[in-house]
Amino acid sequence: MNMVHILGGAQTDFERNWTKEGKGMIAILSEVVSDGLANAGISFDDICALNRENRVAAFVGNFIAEKYVEQGHLGAFLTEIDPSFYGVPSARYEAACASSSVAIDAAQTKIMAGEYDLAIVVGWELMKTVDSKTGGDFLGRAAYYEKEGKDVAFPFPKLFARLADEMILKYRLDEKRFMDDLALISSINYQNAKRNPLAQTRKWFMSLDQASTRGTETNPYIGGRLASSDCSQVTDGAVVVVLASKEFARRRGLVHKPVIKGYGHRTAPLLFDKKILENRESRYVLPWTRQTAVDAYHRSGLTVDDIDVFETHDCFTSSEYAAISAFGLTEPGKEFEAIESGMISFEGRKPVNPSGGLIGCGHPVGASGARMLLDCYKQVAGEAGDYQVPDARNAMMLNIGGSATTNYVFVVGSTK
Amino acid sequence: MASLTVKTVTVIGATGTMGANVAGIFASFGNAKVFCVGRDIRKVEKTIPRIVKSVRADSIRKNLQPADWSMLDDCIRQSDLVFESVAEDLEVKRTIARIVSENLAEDAISCTGSSGLSIDEISECYSDEQRKRYCGVHMFNPPYSMTLCELIPSSYADPSVMDSLAAYLAEKLLRTVVMVKDSPAFLANRIGFQFINEAMQYAERFKDSGGIDYIDAILGPFSGRAMAPLATADFVGLDIHKAIVDNLYSKTSDYEHETFRLPEFVSSLIKAGRLGRKSGEGLYKTFTYDNGLKRQAVYDLSLGTYVDKRKYVFPFALEMNDFIHEGDYAKAFGVLVENRSREAEICLSFLLEYIVYSLYCAQEVAYTPDACDAVMSAGFNWCPPLALYKALGQVCDVGRLVRERIPEICMNVDVDDLLRNVPESKYDYRPYFKAGK
Repeated sequence: MNMVHILGGAQTDFERNWTKEGKGMIAILSEVVSDGLANAGISFDDICALNRENRVAAFVGNFIAEKYVEQGHLGAFLTEIDPSFYGVPSARYEAACASSSVAIDAAQTKIMAGEYDLAIVVGWELMKTVDSKTGGDFLGRAAYYEKEGKDVAFPFPKLFARLADEMILKYRLDEKRFMDDLALISSINYQNAKRNPLAQTRKWFMSLDQASTRGTETNPYIGGRLASSDCSQVTDGAVVVVLASKEFARRRGLVHKPVIKGYGHRTAPLLFDKKILENRESRYVLPWTRQTAVDAYHRSGLTVDDIDVFETHDCFTSSEYAAISAFGLTEPGKEFEAIESGMISFEGRKPVNPSGGLIGCGHPVGASGARMLLDCYKQVAGEAGDYQVPDARNAMMLNIGGSATTNYVFVVGSTK
Repeated sequence: MASLTVKTVTVIGATGTMGANVAGIFASFGNAKVFCVGRDIRKVEKTIPRIVKSVRADSIRKNLQPADWSMLDDCIRQSDLVFESVAEDLEVKRTIARIVSENLAEDAISCTGSSGLSIDEISECYSDEQRKRYCGVHMFNPPYSMTLCELIPSSYADPSVMDSLAAYLAEKLLRTVVMVKDSPAFLANRIGFQFINEAMQYAERFKDSGGIDYIDAILGPFSGRAMAPLATADFVGLDIHKAIVDNLYSKTSDYEHETFRLPEFVSSLIKAGRLGRKSGEGLYKTFTYDNGLKRQAVYDLSLGTYVDKRKYVFPFALEMNDFIHEGDYAKAFGVLVENRSREAEICLSFLLEYIVYSLYCAQEVAYTPDACDAVMSAGFNWCPPLALYKALGQVCDVGRLVRERIPEICMNVDVDDLLRNVPESKYDYRPYFKAGK
């Protein structure tokens, strides 16, 4: 089987509000694609040359541009950026907040199958085109809209608050201690984001104290027991990751570039109620999320001991809490150990979200999976700047769509 | 370099806009106990919710201790750092400095938030020992989103203390720290208010073409800023604007000297109490009707009254907006350079003059040429001058354009010298160029 290298990529500054800048889809795509290709050392001429032999393709991840910017047929839009994309096979992939992971998966599969040498993965979402309540309703379509989203204000915070409730019940956790652990998760992500020059919240103030003080004017409850500090924030963003075959990397003298060592992809029952009913049989609160990580360990031939850094999908603090045991960092029900001991903090033994995660970086839904893969790449390639985890050889990311319905895990590692 | 520990801070003048906002920064990012001192303790207490709101964090409330003048001596004695933010008046500041000097703890740092008075002159109220630990710390409004912090050591300052303070401001308070010289208005305001005041002069000169909103339409978001220059003056307050440019006009004498002369119409508006947004009217005015409808009006310089804000249609601006909307910046700059309408020429000449004056001021006031980038980005949210130089450089030879388009400036300053080694900007120009609605 063909090995898949990551040559590089780019992320837009997640602090930016493109609507306020008066810019649309073409502007954000054009910027991120040119930056991403430049970072990977690929020119538009390279794309033309590869395209003549049908050796390059593009894979676009986006959740719901039909609502946010009234546009579908998104795969076709690369042709508007540069004529070198004329004729390049390109399509859009969608799985809610895991949209760009499906795009990555499609891209790596085509490369592994020997169909293409170069794959350009673009994940993007413009979300600041509407107010937060309207946007919250759009996002309800990542759940079963008719049953879980329609006429519900901010359905997702409520669903992930139910996940928190479920963990307290399932593991008989002390409620206060659990909420303090969630606050710690939030403040670690905010602190980490301070080192990331592309993070949405890098200038924001957040402390453990502020995250623990819920129900105030500056930290109001958003859904159930989750307050503003427990939630990632919507933003505009786009990410490009450039993948290449081993042969292409060899030709370019880039065989030292990190590779995708394994992946997992599982779909859990869509309705949250059914997830909960099903998990009674499991030690894990999100058994299919756990299985996705197990599959990725299996495919990569690695264990949790081999992974030096994690990027997880902390759309809410409760989802990061559940991810800790899914990664195998602790036994299920013992996640608090990893949080309270400092294991997952930036200086800890197993740093989670050195980038700041979704809470710190912001969560442009269709871009987040690609952002995590790019951050894993940066860690392994030693290009993460101020948020570099020393000597990171292997990195794992978890990207979920809906209420942990679509689950994706990728392992990025060094070839050395 | 010894690292600085700041556990307790006194902010003198905490009910003012900057005093309150700075107290919020120390109490949040610095997690310091902050004595918020004002004349009237009830007024200070009323300011506390505003401070909390300025950093969006109720949790800092317990760090904020209201105090009045009678408690000042005691607050200063307990503080590791004293931040004076009283009225911008040398004698008032010197009076406060003497009180601080009498009570300042041995290793404590004292600073002023002055936006342009001489730091050396105030520092003379301190003892020789205290003077080593005295400086200006000039933040911008609102500091939560504008991170610029100009650090101005007096000529008596101990460099190692200044270095530790700079590190504290940058690492703990997350400020964009730029060390500048004790020169009138320091760096950011000298560059920024030169631009704004000259825009005011142009408004007067072109009053028959529309004046105020005409010039703002020429220097709109597509020219590399979120807020047009005259709207910025209205936001800052015309009285503050006057204080800054009058100070620069009387104390500096560089080649831009005449552009610091305040236009007559601004003085008249100030005399009439039309100070800008804070007093409800100034260069602009928003009429709000009972049914909630709003009407944007602008002061018409020919009529001497407010008229509806006009929608100007400049072909060059429309074209630039279209290109910026799609992220094709090079084409947008191409239009700016190629279009020879009066409006495009004014716009481009302002941008070129801004690049040249920034380079000049960086030499005069800063320690490194790229300081002008940091101050204009983090203090004004304008496209930084070196980034602008790079942006325009995609479509033309900027040096040649300077000589062609602003020859009168080239006669008065050595542009060859200024443009000889323009450092590469660390900033991305793209976010600053916005397509207006």
